[in-house]
Amino acid sequence: MRYRVLLLAFMIGMFTANSGANSNVNEIIKKVENNLNGETAILEFTMRVKNKRTERTMKMVSYSSGKDKSFIKILYPGKDKGITFLKIDNTMWQYVPRIEKTIKIPASMMLQSWMGSDFTNDDLVKESSISDDYTCTLLQESENSYQLELIPLEDAAVIWGKIIMEISKQYYLPTTVNYFDEDNTLIRELTYSDIKPFGDRFYPTKWLMLPQEADKIGHQTHMEISAATFDAEIDAAFFTKRALKRYSR
Amino acid sequence: MLIKLALRNLIAYKKRTIVTVLLTTITTALLVFSTAWMDGSHQTMIKNAVEIYPGYLQITADKFRDSPSFDHLIFDADTVSQQLSQNQDIATFGARFESFVLFSANEKSVGGMLTGIEPEKEQQLSRLYSSLHSGDYLKTTDTNSAYIGIELARRLKVDIGDEIVFIGNGADYSFAADTLKIKGLFQTGLYEFDASAAFIAKPYFDVIMAADNYATHFIVQPKHPEQTVELAAQLGETIGSQYQSASWNQIMAELVKAMEIDSLFGYITLAIIFIVVFFVIMIYTLLTVFGRIREIGVLRAIGTTPRQIFTILLLESCVLALISVIAGGLLGGAFAYYFELHPITLSGFEDQFKQYGLAVSAIPTAFEPWTILRDMAVMFTLSVLSTIYPIIKVNRYKPVEAMRHV
Amino acid sequence: MFKTATKIGITSLLRRRTRSALLILMIAVSLWGLLFIEGIYDGMTEQMIANAIRSDSGHISIFADGYRLNPDLSRWIENTIELDEFLNERQQIKSTVARLKQDGLVATAHYSRGIAILGIDLEREANHSHLEGYLRHGELNFGERQRGAIIGFKLAKKLKVAIGNKIILSAQNSAGEMASTALKVKGIIKTHNMAFDENAVFIAAAKARELLSMPTGISQIAISIANEGEIASLQQQLQEEFPNLTIKRWDELYPALQQSRVLMAGFKQVINIIIFSIAALGIFGVMLVSVLERMREFGIMLAIGTKFSQIGIIILVEASILGCAGFGLGALAGFSTLYYFKIYGLDLSVFSSALDEFGLDAITYAIIRPDYFFTALAAIILASVFSIIIPLRILKKTKPVDAINAI
Repeated sequence: MRYRVLLLAFMIGMFTANSGANSNVNEIIKKVENNLNGETAILEFTMRVKNKRTERTMKMVSYSSGKDKSFIKILYPGKDKGITFLKIDNTMWQYVPRIEKTIKIPASMMLQSWMGSDFTNDDLVKESSISDDYTCTLLQESENSYQLELIPLEDAAVIWGKIIMEISKQYYLPTTVNYFDEDNTLIRELTYSDIKPFGDRFYPTKWLMLPQEADKIGHQTHMEISAATFDAEIDAAFFTKRALKRYSR
Repeated sequence: MLIKLALRNLIAYKKRTIVTVLLTTITTALLVFSTAWMDGSHQTMIKNAVEIYPGYLQITADKFRDSPSFDHLIFDADTVSQQLSQNQDIATFGARFESFVLFSANEKSVGGMLTGIEPEKEQQLSRLYSSLHSGDYLKTTDTNSAYIGIELARRLKVDIGDEIVFIGNGADYSFAADTLKIKGLFQTGLYEFDASAAFIAKPYFDVIMAADNYATHFIVQPKHPEQTVELAAQLGETIGSQYQSASWNQIMAELVKAMEIDSLFGYITLAIIFIVVFFVIMIYTLLTVFGRIREIGVLRAIGTTPRQIFTILLLESCVLALISVIAGGLLGGAFAYYFELHPITLSGFEDQFKQYGLAVSAIPTAFEPWTILRDMAVMFTLSVLSTIYPIIKVNRYKPVEAMRHV
Repeated sequence: MFKTATKIGITSLLRRRTRSALLILMIAVSLWGLLFIEGIYDGMTEQMIANAIRSDSGHISIFADGYRLNPDLSRWIENTIELDEFLNERQQIKSTVARLKQDGLVATAHYSRGIAILGIDLEREANHSHLEGYLRHGELNFGERQRGAIIGFKLAKKLKVAIGNKIILSAQNSAGEMASTALKVKGIIKTHNMAFDENAVFIAAAKARELLSMPTGISQIAISIANEGEIASLQQQLQEEFPNLTIKRWDELYPALQQSRVLMAGFKQVINIIIFSIAALGIFGVMLVSVLERMREFGIMLAIGTKFSQIGIIILVEASILGCAGFGLGALAGFSTLYYFKIYGLDLSVFSSALDEFGLDAITYAIIRPDYFFTALAAIILASVFSIIIPLRILKKTKPVDAINAI
């Protein structure tokens, strides 16, 4: 009996704590998402992919509108120049000038590495919607940061068990994102740093992805944003299948 | 003296002699031939499964087998190649680079395996060349010509001369894509393989996949395939700890075990036949021995010891068994030999064989003298053992009883 | 007459007890061994076939035209109502299941694999494929919100998931767009059909329709019928009624299994012939000697007016008693052995991984068919009859006087 009362007290406590914090937390997340995505964004960036043996550098430009549409074009190295990607909702196409062909990425390839990096095709497609797919709770709050725990909604098609996100209070931008599986094993760690101003907005210019699984130790993917324009008008023609070939050159 | 007596008796009691000899001969022949057939079919199945593509012996980087990623490649193929070429027990060897890619043609995209091979060497290492269905096999100097499985071609709806494209990752994880022109189609009979594999010449592969001097594995063809296990162990020690060498029975452990079960049931079946034969021989021995009971009584009466009688009778059995086992061994061996040279073809059962990785329906028997000798020894023992009970039984009679036995 | 013959027969058999006992034992043992082989081997063959029929094809499978060559969502059976009506009218049909299939991807945080997604109706499957018999872990239930998935044990091992773990399914839907959903592993099954154990994820039909945006339509209808003999005629009827559909029998879908059955039947025939020929030789030897050593006896009988046919009957009765006793003993031993293995099964789990290769369970349940016993009885009677022909001819050639004076 005593145990039950205790449990009840605990539950009430939790409930109130949650409901109090929830609105606050959701606002944090909304803000963060807004700061990362914008209405539209044009980003130029360099991607360095490192593993035990090799290191490669790629340059690319991406155009995105909201969460659902994006277009990416590879600028460097020469052998990959002109490869374009188009993502609309959950579907992704790729155009390769060398073979002059547009290929729709099939379901079975979605979790394959994107351009040899530690991001998957799926990461690009579902880069999305933390506020749609996760329940957020505030774990800790310090002077400069919030630590949020994101648990996927039951119906959300995400592979993670949970995500722990550190958010800078100053900019409302993420600093570290840790991805866990269902058994709470850390699978990968994404850090954002070097926040710089672009127009009226601040944006992290260095992204570092560190896979933590045993067979991927030693791999890392580094992204560095060199130019960014937010909320500019982007021609709707970028987000059509024809754009893949048209804007390849 | 006893042998002479035994021989004379054998001639005198022709019926027993003939029946026993015939029965033992036929059973021995049956055993010898069945063993040769079973061993032969299993060897053929394994040989096929091994030779179609996986090869007798594979050298990979140490961790590749557990975690086949591009982090665990053979990064110095030339050195491995040099080391292998110094080994006297190796007939040929060749490097391969396998990578999983997306093939695409006619709006159809299919995941599959693109492999860079050394076309000339591969001719001796696998059945790729002999599985040519139409078109031509690869040459080392070929560039973007592909040799693809017939089912893969069917899935992509392409034929010889058509183009397919692939996208995938190079050995440095960089993006790789190219257009390939279909030069030839192969059909090994293994559906999964024919539906997903495509090959191009390694020199060109190395260029487009950034795989120069790299390999996922080496295939080694031993001079004596039956000593693969020893060779694998030996190479494992000499080639260095960053590499691993595995023989076919490690690579295809399940198939090996499946063959063991099949043999087990084969032997159970034979054992049941043997039991029946055992009984029949026993019955015939009993009949003849008891037919001679009066004679035995007389022998005992004139002072022959039971031991001598036992020896005579046992000698008879031994002589009979020896003659029949030799005859049976020769007969069964002859059949085994003949059908090794002229394999039995079970046409119409290709599908069933394919299921077990056997792409042809011709099954040669395995003519192996040591196995035949083993079978002959087994039959000899059985045949002699089966006569012991009647012999002991008849010896238990007292001379007088025996003489009066009706 | 027969009474006397039986009496004489039994008496003379008892006089040569060892010999008679050995012969009976021989027949019994050979029959026992034969029955064992037949029952166990048939059990294995039928198990392989049953596994394929239960888990996949049924006795007959219906597909949309062209689906077998290009299994995608553009080819599905649309007119299910008419088809259902037709199938419901057929009394011989035991059960039918409809499945929606699409290739897709299953993923966890660690691994991903290409697989076939199968939308099924568990209630209908229960009558058809008896999935509960294949269940190894968890339960056969997609849950209230149909968010459960049932996967094969090999896939579970490859993905390293257990009951309750989350998996993500992705596939192209009927509009050509990528669709994904999160599911919980509810059950892990072992069907011994590699295609399923390694490469299939079963989900609720409704969930599959939602995922694939397929409000109607079916990829495959599998039909089980009570009497295997009617498969071909039902196939023909279906084909005539629905010329636009592909109707296939299980043996057309799994030709290898049909061949196994044919091979096995041939193999059993050979073994039967070998064993009974050897056994017949044994009976023949005993009968020959038993006639020869009683030449004088028979000579006297003939001399005092017994008809030759009567002596023939005595000998025949003797042979038959031996044969029947052997048969009775062997059949009893064989039946009990097979019955034991039918109930408890022959456990071959030592070879488990290799058995999977054959599509077999670790435990084989024997089959007992009446025709094993009829064939054996016929063979033994035949062997007994043939075994006395030569002895009788020898007897007939011998004149009574010579026979009496023999020895």
